[in-house]
Amino acid sequence: MVNTIDQIINVFDEQKIRKNEALISCSGVNVFYSDKQALFDVNLDIKEKEVTSLIGPSGCGKSTFLRCINRMNDVIETCSIEGLVKINGQDIYDPKIDVVELRAKIGMVFQKPNPFPKSVYENVAYGPRLHGMFINKSDMDKKVEESLVRAGLWNEVKDRLQEPGTSLSGGQQQRLCIARAIAVDPEIILMDEPCSSLDPIATAKIEELIDELKVNYTITIVTHSMQQAARVSQKTAFFHLGHLIEVGETENIFRNPINKQTEAYVTGRYG
Amino acid sequence: MSDHIVSSFDEELNEITDGLINMGALVLAALRSVEEILKNDDHNLAQKIIDNDLQINDLGQSIEIKAFNTLASRQPMAFDLRLVFSAVKMSLYLERCGDMCKGISKRILKGDLTEADSPNTIESLVTLTNRVYENLSLVLEDYAARTSEKSLEVWSSDNEIDSIYSDILMEILNNIKSKPEAIEALVPLFFIARYLERVGDQATNIAEVTHFIVTGEVLTDEKEIQIENETTF
Ligand SMILES: Nc1ncnc2c1ncn2[C@@H]1O[C@H](COP(=O)(O)OP(=O)(O)OP(=O)(O)O)[C@@H](O)[C@H]1O
Ligand SMILES: [Mg+2]
Repeated sequence: MVNTIDQIINVFDEQKIRKNEALISCSGVNVFYSDKQALFDVNLDIKEKEVTSLIGPSGCGKSTFLRCINRMNDVIETCSIEGLVKINGQDIYDPKIDVVELRAKIGMVFQKPNPFPKSVYENVAYGPRLHGMFINKSDMDKKVEESLVRAGLWNEVKDRLQEPGTSLSGGQQQRLCIARAIAVDPEIILMDEPCSSLDPIATAKIEELIDELKVNYTITIVTHSMQQAARVSQKTAFFHLGHLIEVGETENIFRNPINKQTEAYVTGRYG
Repeated sequence: MSDHIVSSFDEELNEITDGLINMGALVLAALRSVEEILKNDDHNLAQKIIDNDLQINDLGQSIEIKAFNTLASRQPMAFDLRLVFSAVKMSLYLERCGDMCKGISKRILKGDLTEADSPNTIESLVTLTNRVYENLSLVLEDYAARTSEKSLEVWSSDNEIDSIYSDILMEILNNIKSKPEAIEALVPLFFIARYLERVGDQATNIAEVTHFIVTGEVLTDEKEIQIENETTF
């Protein structure tokens, strides 16, 4: 009897520990483009099913950091990375890692909506097909619909599935890219200034979507709008000249940041 | 703190801050006049306080409009957000202080202080006025200098005003007991004491606001206990 209770407590503790553990854990990350260093000793943990905002002046290394998480920097020839990036406790730069599989777990949305020059349907079906997720057409149809519904786009495009993705409006294209990203059932979604080319209504739709998605996904978003960071994220990280200056509860960052540089940046005193 | 990249943002914040400092100065002037009235039963001066209160209200309203517009157009953050958000509260607190001074003046205009025949109570009311004046000017100094030490002092010394206030109440009560025929002249003194005590409360509120603007910290009763522990030997 005592034994069983102990076991139960153990299981409970383990779950608790796992809950507190970060999904993405970066330590001592340095990134170089040729011999120019872009990130300096970045240590940042990103919690599961939370939205984390990355803010900071242009060129401070936000996109570079984001690309470390899905190894997109690998594609840049001059780029090299040092340090440890772990997802679910697994070193993602381990030579044994299958990069294609890794990227399937991590969706990415860019500043400019970049639908493929294919139909709306094919844009969403592309990822699942690439990863050999469905063989059967009706399963694929279901997946496409579900992804478009989740991205808040279904009602607007359900009668235009065969039209080119590029024929949609900018805000619709961005939601199409989000649908494309979530179609492969990723764990993590990285967004690099996803609203910077959108009007306030399209922006609001994306923000509403982020709120809904964070129930199932871990989202990291780069944004130049402090107000957007305040609205959508639970954690905010401030970068400056390649250094992570401050990270904390978003509320504290906009209410009372600890670091003077953070304060100067968020209040528009950075010059 | 350095300037904003957009200099008109600095101008807006300065206008709000200067407006509140001016409002505070008007309230302090009203309190000085209250002291004079208590000493000399000066009805002309009482009327002047009532007239001047309009100015305090107008100023308060213009500060609120400015804060409202700044919130809409700049969406301030961190220190700026604390400053603009708090400006609305602070103007309300100062406006109430003005109302209290006006209330005192009205009470005085209605009757004749000398009929109360209570020089000791009047003297205590003058002391209370001075004490409240001092607290208010300390927190306003802090606000203008963007410091918070004086505010903390004021915030934790609020019970001193409370004790002067309850002494005055006892005094008036005893007077009423011994001179029931003077009750009508004595009751206004009750109200005056009450009004002054409320101005003291507003000074405490402003101390909280100033502390919040400067440190980002919300003063709670826990904090009060901590301060008391630090200052008891
Ligand atoms: N492909 C590249 N080759 C060489 N240098 C690069 C490359 N990409 C980025 N950099 C440099 O690395 C630094 C960080 O750039 P990064 O794009 O990460 O900044 P950012 O914070 O995303 O800026 P922005 O807000 O303008 O998007 C900059 O100095 C940039 O010039
Ligand atoms: Mg970038």
